[in-house]
Amino acid sequence: MLELKNVHKQFGDNVVLKDVSLKVEKGDVVAILGPSGSGKTTLLRCAGYLNRADSGRLVIGDKEFDLKKIAGKDLLDYRSRVGFVFQSFNLYGNKTALGNVTLGLTVAQKMKKDEAEEIGRKLLERVGLSDRVDYYPSKLSGGQQQRVAIARALATNPEVVFFDEPTSALDPELTGEVLNVIKSLADDGVTMIVVTHEMEFARKVATRVVFMENGEIVEENNSKDFFEHPQKERTKEFIYKSSTWASDTQIDGSGI
Amino acid sequence: MNERIINELIESFGKLLMAGLKVSLPLTIASFSAGLIIAFLVALAQIAKVPVLRHLVRVYVWIIRCTPMIVQLFIVYFGLPSIGIKFNSFVSAWLVMSLSVGAYCSETVRAAIQSVPVGQLEACYCDGLTFWQGMMHVIVPQALRTAFPPLSNSIIGLVKDTSLAYSVALVEILATAQRIAARTYDYFWLYLEAGLIYLIICSVLTVIQSRAEAALERRR
Repeated sequence: MLELKNVHKQFGDNVVLKDVSLKVEKGDVVAILGPSGSGKTTLLRCAGYLNRADSGRLVIGDKEFDLKKIAGKDLLDYRSRVGFVFQSFNLYGNKTALGNVTLGLTVAQKMKKDEAEEIGRKLLERVGLSDRVDYYPSKLSGGQQQRVAIARALATNPEVVFFDEPTSALDPELTGEVLNVIKSLADDGVTMIVVTHEMEFARKVATRVVFMENGEIVEENNSKDFFEHPQKERTKEFIYKSSTWASDTQIDGSGI
Repeated sequence: MNERIINELIESFGKLLMAGLKVSLPLTIASFSAGLIIAFLVALAQIAKVPVLRHLVRVYVWIIRCTPMIVQLFIVYFGLPSIGIKFNSFVSAWLVMSLSVGAYCSETVRAAIQSVPVGQLEACYCDGLTFWQGMMHVIVPQALRTAFPPLSNSIIGLVKDTSLAYSVALVEILATAQRIAARTYDYFWLYLEAGLIYLIICSVLTVIQSRAEAALERRR
């Protein structure tokens, strides 16, 4: 139901994505793992049309979009099908929690204010923030802000939600509440692609795991097999180094 | 100071105040509004790095900031008619002062816009908003809050600068005082009174500024 086809992106001579293709089924939660600079965030930003790809297409449901250029009515249609959650929340500082969720509905989708607010209240309740509806972002904790951002991404009832390292900017204590919300969405069957460094999350919540390095997908599997039976040497090394903080690991990172 | 002067000052006070309310203040508001729009567009051209425009606006800011306003007024009011472009006093002053506000405030506005994290504009895009919708609903309201104190400073400065329009035959506060004094030779008292009128107008603006700032502060 969602397919990325041959997404290519380079900044100058630096090729960041080398014709990456990825297929995602409805209800899948795909975790994209990989070291810094592997291109995983760029892939997500190209798929979310925040960066223009040099070439590549995105199929969502019955529609296909050119990631090099989406314009006019297609763009609004595309935006309503895709939700995006940022690492740094990016809540609108001049809007309340409710205002953050409803802005896109009222301004872009031209929905009536009370209809939008009804949707907004329901979504804020869904992320456990019905008592913070009228709070401005500056009065919310990081975890609460990110949950508002998730509610905002869900406003148009999108077919897929992209998460760009949703817990990386949070205190360790606050990551749990955000991951729990994402997990509850997964239980409800929301299709998600999550760029993350949370190995536990990838292991327990993700249905599929994609491992990227140097702008390419190195390995891709269902999450159980990915962690239990990694195929490629590089993947094994990554899982080992990320999952353990073994006392027998050398400082240079060489094994056992 | 005798009774004659006291009576003259009481009588002229109303005239000076009316000149302020009917000429100086409207000129301030008209120039500041137009100037802010110019400042916003100049700031955007610099932020968005629009190729040719970006250099043009820098030349504009450079010229306005590095020439005296009274020279600009003379060029527009006394100079332009010789090449067939004629504006009346008020329009000449409005043009020059709008361009001045535009140049001086563009940096304030640019800094204020850039103080809003760019991620919020990206979030607007994800919500389906266009660049202009994002600017109007999210970025500009927050930027204005940041820019409010320096912009208030500019508007108070502008009230005083309108006295320069005296030189292009605009009958504003100073010119009114001058005309009355020309009949009675009480220059000292009339100019003192003109100063008092500016003091009153700017004090009122200062009070409005601090109230508005407090109100903005409550809404975040």
